[in-house]
Amino acid sequence: MATLIIDGQEVHAEEGQTILEVARANGFEIPTLCYHPQLEPYGACRLCIVEVIRSGRSRLETSCTHPAWDGLEVKTRSPAVIEARRVILGLLLSRCPNVPVIQELALEYGITEPPFPAEDPEEKCILCGLCVRTCHELVKADVLNFSQAGVERRVGPPFLEKTRQCIGCGACTIVCPTGAIEIVLQQAGIYKEKPLGPTAAIWVPSLQAVPNVPVIDIDACIRFRQNDRTEGEIADACGVCQMVCEAGAINFDQQDEVVELAVGTVIVATGFQMWDPAQLSQYSYGKSPNIITGMEFEHLSNAGGITSGEILLADGRMPERVAIIHCVGSRDHNAHKYCSRICCMYSLKQAHLVRDKTGADVYEFYMDMRAFGKGYEEFYERVQEEGVAMIRGRGAEVEVLPDGKLRVKGEDANLGRLVYVDVDMVVLSTAIEAPHDANQVAALFGLSRSEDGFFAEAHPKMRPVETNTGGVFLAGTAQGPRDVPDTVAHAGAAASMALALMDQGEVTISPAVAVVDEELCSACKTCISLCPYTAISFIEEDNVARVNEALCKGCGTCVAACPAGAIMARHFTDLQILAQIEGLFRVPA
Amino acid sequence: MSNNSFEPRIVAFMCNWCTYTAADTAGVSRMQQPPNVDIIRVMCTGRVDPTFILKALALGADGVLISGCHPGQCHYEKGNLNARRRVTALKPFLDAVGIGQDRLRLEWIAASEAPKVTEVIAEFTDTIKRLGPSPFRRRLEDTKETKR
Amino acid sequence: MAERYRADILVSCLHDRAPDLIPNLKAEVIRRGLKDEVRVIEAGCRGFCSMGPVLLVEPNGIFYIGVQPADVPELVEETLVKGRVVERLTYEEPTTHASIAYYEDIPFYSKQERIVLRHCGLINPQSIDEYIAVGGYQALGKALISMTPEEIIDELKRSGLRGRGGAGFPTGRKWEAGRKAEGETKYVLVNGDEGDPNCFMDRALMEADPHSILEGLIIGAYVVGAHQGYIYIPYEHSGSVKSMRTALEQARDYGLLGADILGSGFEFDAELRLGAHSFVGGESTALMHAVEGKVSEPRPKHIHTTEVGIWGRPSCLNNVKTLSIVPEIISRGADWFGGIGTETSKGTQVFSLAGKINNVGLAEVPMGITIRELVFDVGGGIPKGREFKALQIGGPSGGFLPASLLDMPMDYETLADAGSMMGTGGVVILDDRTCVVDTARYFLDFLRDESCGKCTSCREGIRCMLEILTRITEGRGEVADLDTLETLGHVVKSVSLCGLGKTAPNPVLSTLRYFRDEYMAHIEDKKCPGGVCKALIEYYIIEDLCNGCGACRRKCPEAAISGEKKEVHVIDPALCIKCGICFDVCKFDAVGVR
Repeated sequence: MATLIIDGQEVHAEEGQTILEVARANGFEIPTLCYHPQLEPYGACRLCIVEVIRSGRSRLETSCTHPAWDGLEVKTRSPAVIEARRVILGLLLSRCPNVPVIQELALEYGITEPPFPAEDPEEKCILCGLCVRTCHELVKADVLNFSQAGVERRVGPPFLEKTRQCIGCGACTIVCPTGAIEIVLQQAGIYKEKPLGPTAAIWVPSLQAVPNVPVIDIDACIRFRQNDRTEGEIADACGVCQMVCEAGAINFDQQDEVVELAVGTVIVATGFQMWDPAQLSQYSYGKSPNIITGMEFEHLSNAGGITSGEILLADGRMPERVAIIHCVGSRDHNAHKYCSRICCMYSLKQAHLVRDKTGADVYEFYMDMRAFGKGYEEFYERVQEEGVAMIRGRGAEVEVLPDGKLRVKGEDANLGRLVYVDVDMVVLSTAIEAPHDANQVAALFGLSRSEDGFFAEAHPKMRPVETNTGGVFLAGTAQGPRDVPDTVAHAGAAASMALALMDQGEVTISPAVAVVDEELCSACKTCISLCPYTAISFIEEDNVARVNEALCKGCGTCVAACPAGAIMARHFTDLQILAQIEGLFRVPA
Repeated sequence: MSNNSFEPRIVAFMCNWCTYTAADTAGVSRMQQPPNVDIIRVMCTGRVDPTFILKALALGADGVLISGCHPGQCHYEKGNLNARRRVTALKPFLDAVGIGQDRLRLEWIAASEAPKVTEVIAEFTDTIKRLGPSPFRRRLEDTKETKR
Repeated sequence: MAERYRADILVSCLHDRAPDLIPNLKAEVIRRGLKDEVRVIEAGCRGFCSMGPVLLVEPNGIFYIGVQPADVPELVEETLVKGRVVERLTYEEPTTHASIAYYEDIPFYSKQERIVLRHCGLINPQSIDEYIAVGGYQALGKALISMTPEEIIDELKRSGLRGRGGAGFPTGRKWEAGRKAEGETKYVLVNGDEGDPNCFMDRALMEADPHSILEGLIIGAYVVGAHQGYIYIPYEHSGSVKSMRTALEQARDYGLLGADILGSGFEFDAELRLGAHSFVGGESTALMHAVEGKVSEPRPKHIHTTEVGIWGRPSCLNNVKTLSIVPEIISRGADWFGGIGTETSKGTQVFSLAGKINNVGLAEVPMGITIRELVFDVGGGIPKGREFKALQIGGPSGGFLPASLLDMPMDYETLADAGSMMGTGGVVILDDRTCVVDTARYFLDFLRDESCGKCTSCREGIRCMLEILTRITEGRGEVADLDTLETLGHVVKSVSLCGLGKTAPNPVLSTLRYFRDEYMAHIEDKKCPGGVCKALIEYYIIEDLCNGCGACRRKCPEAAISGEKKEVHVIDPALCIKCGICFDVCKFDAVGVR
């Protein structure tokens, strides 16, 4: 622990800290350009100059590199320091007269014009070396470095040629203080586009995400990508998130854990996914950044989103005209035949939000307005009164005009005419559908799927939360489209049925199981291989097959197969079935 | 006997989970179907012993329908595959003894396919109508008695 | 079998001037049947550059200058056979024109106290035997066997030896810090990257007396506790590379490098590290980066390299001259060394004399010599009888000292106080026909190219100062520029990361201090008093002196001079490009500059 005096104030420094770190930790402001807390200090820009007095000698030193030794006296704003910073900013401004961040800093020190002529007025690079050090120390791709010396010094890949060493991570772009580096997204390696714009590889899906913690997208994360690209040779690139996490919550070595639980009841609540409107080209999804899905609208409108809740076009302007198209992918023989149930109401809500936040004109293209719930019809009326134009007719096509505007074409069935409207933003209310891995889930639990792709309930009217497999229940949209109140009710039903089942402690199983008449069994073992539940075992000592009644589901396959007729299906015995058959044909006496 | 007045008697073995449920749904939904089918519920089509089919035919059924879950979707995993095998093995026998394999039909109808139940029944009834009464039936009528 | 020769001819300074001189001499010696009596040796640099090739005949001590192959027969005949001096080949004293035949009588040499250069030109540098014969490696023996590292440190401290690389840091203290530094593995390094454009003493030493450097290095390693040394020489300095490489091999053969040196149990070896030459490459941290294989870029020296050097380990870097002095101090004692020089700066300094001076070359003189003595006594004065204007010392990092300081004794402190610095002893003499502003601009131009470009203040600051100076030399300067130069210069000096940046403003600041009037002449009068800045001068024919010979007219590349034979010629200012050829060609000094 060292003690220093900064601007007359006593402060304490930990082992290995620099003057800059101690100063900033104690609230002293020192400007920097080439400093970054996660990188080795470099001392190139000279802006962090402070006066250091040691053993009676006063010197100007860069605070980012100078260790915070015990007994130092530091002045961060003495006249010499101010003068030095002023001159340096004048030099920087003379090198890069058109870089805003330098202009602002220079202005703080009273410089409005570059004091010296610039060699290249469009120059943006101040040779701070942040990109070089980031690429070398954190990303470990070693793509960027300095070449040439003096005023000819410049930064770039070897021979300033494009190189495949660059993984397109964009770290250099982010760290550059002057915006001198651009990333060409289309040529970048993997660069994930999250809803409404790229984010860092570690991100919280939304402010309302549950659990509300960040996740790492390992396809975009530099560490994982470098590990893959170099086959494990560079396994520790970047890791900045781990360095800054005070809780130490980031662990790159997490592996998928396979957990085996023995349970008696399962509730399948695997939800839904949004249908991708790119599958129908007439909506031009993906051809303009202002054609968004209803879900993307939710991200946009969320106060925790990238626009802090403002409804903005991709270029930052507020829209003046917005169209909302219902039934995109629903009620469509070319996509999903069913109605997705929730879209009409959320589309009305979104129309209301657009009117409220931007005052833009809103056009809703709908086929039928499904306002089936409590207060829904009233809300529909209210939205109409707010001036949202309702056009009864499916929005058939969205065309991207050369000036960027969007032309929505459809039929207005009330007018009996084809109409079109040119808008700034189009919101597609897309269908919801069963998740892409529904087949695998179904196979796991022996569930069947209805025609619409969602999981089949035991009975459409009477048993909406149960499935044909005992102990497996369905909750929510896994079973079919429904909105929040209905989901809550559905899930509550599933929960209570599950609880009822669990609560029993002992359950009564169906008595319709198979049983072997051990006198008749000929030990041919035909039945054993047939049983899908491995409920029949061959007992060596007794030389017979025996059915485990707890496992037997009573399908009767073994019964029909036994050549000796030694197995009987309780309650579905041969005699009983034959009696039924006979009963059908008995002629009354 | 003229065929216009011939009303086939068809015995249908339906598996409890799929086809029986679909038939139930069809009924609940008031779907129309010919009245010629008598349903015997089994837990799985795999339960259907060939002797049941033969018994039904012997007792005077004009046609036998076996219907269960689609292969791969059997509630008991693969019971229906056994049914398929048995029916495949039985059909040549029916031809050989003069009943004709067309009187035995194997169909896969899932629980959600209620319309298919009515469709298949209508179709099969039609088929049997065209085929006429089963040879066993004529003899039975002659005897006007069934023996156990 | 020892052979006795009655005469040795030591030839120095061949290089481009007379590559055939030695074969010629040898052939002539053989032809005259003197093969067994006279030995011809190629010795190292003797430092009398303007007089080369030079030749010393021992044991007489007859010294010949400017010897060409054509002179050989006469030389051999007269001096070696007949024992007579060939006067035309001897040094001619500039003012009296007297012929001085004997080496020790020549003022250039007699005024010198050659410690660093003690063997230069007197032995065959590629022979370790000759080095040993003149007492080499005795000091190493004494140090390893009968002295402890602490005793050597003590001796060096008492001697007052300061590093000759430019910074003047006390060598004893540096080696003490190296010794005390924590760590098992330590390194000693030799800085062979002589960067000043006008300095050539390091090169002379490496080529003329490589073993003296090695001896000092091994002693240094012993003191510090290092077992590995690196000698950093730029790849381009092929002569030095070859010389040091041979010396290393010879030392190894003789067991002076390797395990158990001289039976002392001390183990040490050294190797060459070649790099790409740059001015900044001689900066200690930049050099260490280059040894590590990285770019020659300096780092801040808050933590000294004696604690954290190459590969993070304690490293002691010394200049070649410093190392060559160490064996002498060990042999002759700290008191001897301390008796030479001034209170703060002990011993001698090797000055490289260049510019407007008669005796261009290397002169080693005691610290404290006055400028007047150096320039006029040792240096032989200003050629063509021109006036002394300034002494520039310290290379591009140094400053200009005016005539008013001619009697100032030169040592580290006095020079720093005067706004200059000792540096490595590179000296440039300016006469009244040189422009101080232009010379300052020249140094800034050099520094602009040599700056590594890492820190803003040096890279941009030098560029901007150069821009101002260029404008001034082109007649586009403003009075406000001088204040800008001062401010900018002081900030660059105090804020830059390494020595290059910190000293880059010195030429400008010192010229502003002593020669402000010349700046003002450029700015306000639009005139160059030195007659150098092309935009501000005019060449004209002095009518009284012109005899119409037409030499200038014929040589003028722009045909700007017109005139009839035997009539006064005239220069047309519109066509004149101020190349100065007419000025050089006119035998009658009839071309003037104003």
